[in-house]
Amino acid sequence: MHRPTTDDCGTGFSSRREFLGRTACAACAAGLLGRLAAAQQDVAGDTALPGPKIEGVIRHEAMYSEPLADKKVRCVLCPRRCEVANVERGYCGVRENQDGRYQTLVYGALCSANVDPIEKKPLFHYLPGTAAFSVATAGCNIECRFCQNWRISQFRPEQVPSTEVSPAQLVKLCRRQGSPTIAYTYSEPVVFYEYMYDSAQLARQAGVGSVAITNGYILPEPLRALCKVLTGIKVDLKAFTEKFYAETCNGRLAPVLTSLEEIRAAGLWLELVVLLVPTLNDSAEEIRQMSKWVVRQLGPDVPMHFTRFHSMYRITNLPSTPVATLERARKIAMECGVHYAYCGNVRGHPGENTYCPSCGEELIRRMGYHILANRVQDGHCPKCKATIRGVWSQDQALGHTPAPTSKATG
Amino acid sequence: MPPDHTSRREFLKQAGAGAIALAAGCKADATVTPSADEGQGRVVLGRDDALAAAGDLDKHVDLMTRMLCSAVQKLTGKTTAAEAWGSVFSPKDTVGIKVNCLGLPTSPAVVRAIVNCLLGAAIPAERIIIWDRFDVELAAAGYKLNRSKRGVRCFGTDASTYGSGYEREIESSGSIGSCFSRIVARECTALISASVLKDHNLAGISGALKNFFGAIHNPNKYHEHNCDPYVADVVAHRHIGPKLRLAVCDVTRGQYHAGPARHPAYAWKFGGLLVSRDAVAADRVGCDLLERERRAHNLASLAAEKRPAKHIMTAGTRGLGIADLERIEVVEL
Repeated sequence: MHRPTTDDCGTGFSSRREFLGRTACAACAAGLLGRLAAAQQDVAGDTALPGPKIEGVIRHEAMYSEPLADKKVRCVLCPRRCEVANVERGYCGVRENQDGRYQTLVYGALCSANVDPIEKKPLFHYLPGTAAFSVATAGCNIECRFCQNWRISQFRPEQVPSTEVSPAQLVKLCRRQGSPTIAYTYSEPVVFYEYMYDSAQLARQAGVGSVAITNGYILPEPLRALCKVLTGIKVDLKAFTEKFYAETCNGRLAPVLTSLEEIRAAGLWLELVVLLVPTLNDSAEEIRQMSKWVVRQLGPDVPMHFTRFHSMYRITNLPSTPVATLERARKIAMECGVHYAYCGNVRGHPGENTYCPSCGEELIRRMGYHILANRVQDGHCPKCKATIRGVWSQDQALGHTPAPTSKATG
Repeated sequence: MPPDHTSRREFLKQAGAGAIALAAGCKADATVTPSADEGQGRVVLGRDDALAAAGDLDKHVDLMTRMLCSAVQKLTGKTTAAEAWGSVFSPKDTVGIKVNCLGLPTSPAVVRAIVNCLLGAAIPAERIIIWDRFDVELAAAGYKLNRSKRGVRCFGTDASTYGSGYEREIESSGSIGSCFSRIVARECTALISASVLKDHNLAGISGALKNFFGAIHNPNKYHEHNCDPYVADVVAHRHIGPKLRLAVCDVTRGQYHAGPARHPAYAWKFGGLLVSRDAVAADRVGCDLLERERRAHNLASLAAEKRPAKHIMTAGTRGLGIADLERIEVVEL
């Protein structure tokens, strides 16, 4: 059974019928409870996207590579720093060396496009209750064995049906859909960096924000450049041990922590998601260490979402995360000083709501991805007037007005 | 390659039926007795100056057909080529010839010779599939695509619509998790690895074993650690290992450095073929040949360049074949 979870692309290799069925089911369920359901539309695949279906691959010059001997190149976009021989591709499968020239094969090659609630990303402190025009291409630079979108993230561009959509077309589409934000999501936007970067620049000029939903597995230089054009970012902090990153994600923790510090230094709005996988990354001690690090290095106002794992992809022998584990993680995080800790993928749980860290007042009540009530007033608690960190207006997102300041949050 | 809808008769005529008839009647070298374990550890090395000197290998398909027939006779101990190939493949098999088109490709002339031998053993043309990952790569390497139901077929895993060429579900084997090409998963009952011996910047060499990275949807995920143990994991999978009956490594033209991309400066006109029922042994011998060629050009060993062909040893350790040179019998034609 397919369980819609945070940032499930709902597409990939599904047949169109299967995909539409899924989307319809999700939309029906949501329609009973949320005002956003009507805004949710499938625009993936066949007709809604304006560009041509891609035959073969499209090629676009890649950023961040260094030439090596014998027409090899070194990719310096992500911490893998792949040395790529002529005619070969990097680990991500979407960046290829052709005769010493490094190219991205996914510039504008959208394999998934949906209008999602921003809460699905999840971003809870970023324009709550609004829609995010959510897009993805094939490819990822790590391999999480629990990946819910593996049918696009773990495939190569020519193996996934895609439609060519230029950055200008993307911004136009987003505006037509009435979404204030483009979300680069589902697979791993780091691997379609050039497209994300160009689109985000154009979007900003058009008054549209851009958020990246990412693993944070990127080198500092490209990240710093990206932070200048994005308006928000959500990073999956997969765990707090190198062991987990190595064995379960084929990546490393240290570069992700570096990325988080870079994002913090850039002043970009940041939220964290930690998918708790039973027995692998859910120990109280690990959550405590992680939360302490977050408070110390990033500050107490970075929201942490502890979300529920369901059996997926290459991890099919573990049960779903007990709700009690999520509750325990949330409690530990708050004990460590995290102001906004959430339980995710548990519809209707009180841990989905936002509470004032100063007086405990319930500020935003949620049901799944939908906002039932939002009492935040200009970034402040209506009761005690404490500042509630986040991005509460499009002007703020685009940097036209400053973030709420000054009032202590206890 | 054969045009669409070519009949077996037409194909034989085009390919040089004389060579087939000649080869089919060849007597096996009586001194060679096949081992009880179906040729494990035995590699036949055929080499001819005419191949090394040839500008156009298409003119030497007959020679290579005879070479292959003789090689498989030596591997099987059968008296005639038809018997030899017929003891490895059955007319009921669907035989997939996995070529390698990335960079320096398996020569279409070599594959034509393999097809000749299969036809000579009464394998129906329609039950022979020449395949690789992409149609576009096959075509660029000189193969004529044929997706029809008639004649020798030739197409890539991506031949129909995107994504449909791979199995839908992920399958694990050791440390890999991949969707396998439907060509191997659903169509082929027997496989020939028709690789080309070339240097590989990560795996050390690309040969009979590494060739099957082209059977999975995500080879890019398995290039770390010199592609080890991933190559062995792929070959050990049920869709590959149990079906792999023959390795024919094209060394008419090899490349001893800067592979797998084609690099004329490091081209190597060896003029030969390596044939074995043991893909591990074939690669071990191929690796040895390649290292010798590198030494002849004053290049460092693969190990010194931090890309030893570890995957061959791992495949040997896994029991997929013999990787110890001391235990490998090289039979020269």
